[in-house]
Amino acid sequence: MIFRLGDQAPPPAQRINDTVVMRFEHVYEVDPDLMGVTPQQSMPAWDTKRIVDSRWDHLDWMHLHFADDVLLAGEESETMPEPDPPIPSEQLPQPRPVGD
Amino acid sequence: MSVAIKSAIDDAVIEELRAIFGHDDGRVLTNLSSRVNRTRVPAPFPVHRWADHMPDLAVLPRTAQEVSEVVKLANRRGIPVVPRAGGTGLSDGAVPLRGGILVDCKLMNEIHEVDLVDRTVTVGPGINMLKLNEELRPHGVFYPDDPASYPCSLVGGRIGTGGWSLLGARFGHTRDLVISMEVVLPTGEIVEIGEGGGRKLRKSSTGLTLKQLFTGHQGTLGITTQATLELVPRPEVEFAAFFAFEDYITAWETMGVLTKSGLATLAGVVLFDEWKIDYLRRDDEAYIPQPESVKAVVAVAMYGRRCEVEPASKEVMRLGRSRGGRYLGDEISAGDWASRHDRYAIPLHGRRKDGQAVLMSWHCEDAALNYSVLPQVREEWHAIVSRYRERYDIFDDWGMFAYTSGAHKPWADYLVEIDVGIWEQRLDDETWSAWVDCKREIAEVSLKYGGSITACHGATRAGDAELVPTEMGSAWPVVKRIKRALDPNNVMNPGKQSLDEAYEEERL
Repeated sequence: MIFRLGDQAPPPAQRINDTVVMRFEHVYEVDPDLMGVTPQQSMPAWDTKRIVDSRWDHLDWMHLHFADDVLLAGEESETMPEPDPPIPSEQLPQPRPVGD
Repeated sequence: MSVAIKSAIDDAVIEELRAIFGHDDGRVLTNLSSRVNRTRVPAPFPVHRWADHMPDLAVLPRTAQEVSEVVKLANRRGIPVVPRAGGTGLSDGAVPLRGGILVDCKLMNEIHEVDLVDRTVTVGPGINMLKLNEELRPHGVFYPDDPASYPCSLVGGRIGTGGWSLLGARFGHTRDLVISMEVVLPTGEIVEIGEGGGRKLRKSSTGLTLKQLFTGHQGTLGITTQATLELVPRPEVEFAAFFAFEDYITAWETMGVLTKSGLATLAGVVLFDEWKIDYLRRDDEAYIPQPESVKAVVAVAMYGRRCEVEPASKEVMRLGRSRGGRYLGDEISAGDWASRHDRYAIPLHGRRKDGQAVLMSWHCEDAALNYSVLPQVREEWHAIVSRYRERYDIFDDWGMFAYTSGAHKPWADYLVEIDVGIWEQRLDDETWSAWVDCKREIAEVSLKYGGSITACHGATRAGDAELVPTEMGSAWPVVKRIKRALDPNNVMNPGKQSLDEAYEEERL
């Protein structure tokens, strides 16, 4: 495995709403402009992915801890039948480095 | 007035304690870090007055006999004793108010016996439920006490608090799951407390039932040194379903339908209000990209045999939609249910009025209220918090939920929380006093509607404790007599729940 530092820079943030941005799918962050009082640390892409993977491991573990099996209704969300259309790139905010 | 005082600790006391612990200096801790780390709990805390709440020293007993000797010493010398288990409480039961000796029970974490015939497990108070259940799993049994602090709280703290479980509607809460206990009384005697008869009996009618008296006393009536607990069959399956609503009242009505359904495998039903949904929407850890039309969510969880839960799950899906609820899908339902212990694992942040995110601690008001009054209490609680937030920009309203609270009877009682973020770093005497006033106003609303200040955490917080006599009403003189009879020198966690009043009268 080759570690390329350039590959570890998080992608530009995509605005989700007035206060939330997203850099990786389903990984949400407070808009950095709202983190003026509480400083953020820079986080490489691999670390974000590690945390997300650990999160899924944790949820799987928690299910199995309390019961042998998870029973599902087998149905999709009724509140979000269609994914939001992608935001055109020209409408996205300018990329900002993490930690600014 | 007889009140134990911290200044009674001197070198002679420390030497006596060292002798009790066989001169094992690792179990008599007088250094600053050991005391600082045993001062607060996760409930909002006056950090600007940290030193006022530190114990003078901490001890780590391994046996009931050692606990007994410590308590006897405290009585001889007039020193406060404060028991502490995981220190995860959301009230201040484990926070010393007058210094003294802190009895940390973490080393009493043994599993003494697993009885698969009579279905009990006997443990020390320092064991954690998650670790206990890991040990029990090969036996096909389970100890189903499941607080939000499940990964880190300890059995002793659950007993002292009289804890509430997320699975309580199905399996009962801590007091229902503890069969008997060994307790060191405030005078140092070691006694067996149960229903009567042997320590594995679930019901007896021989005499007074003392067990409940020693569950939920917040360390004011003694220290549990061993407990015999209920074992239930390990569930084959879990099922969770989340339903979205466009208004609170329809969600509340649907919750009523679900809780009155008579489904025996129902472990919990919870209703999140609009403020709570907004809080989750803006939070980076749990952002829920739901449409703005979602104003309330009802969640249901079930546990049991597959042959029970599978047909019941279909009924839950029908009832959840019976008044227009929309299913949030399998991924959110299963995933969010598995996230139910998150509040103990993530840093919490709230917002100033200008939107800036700041680190906050979390106050959980946890009133016990009947179903009928939930909508009105909700309006009054939010109005109170809004008023204080407007004046002091260190508070944040994180929304409300109502969760089934009756053990095996989910239809009428609810644990009702309003969660309030507090920017502790900015606390001073004025803002802390404002918070206590806010807290008291919230609790007074609960009492006005025939509720209780607390269903789970205990009434030892400032803003709660002074209302305990009001809530206890005509039974308050009885409570004071019991306290004074069992703890004549007021050494056991003094200053809590207004119990000092028991010592203010020469004759009760």
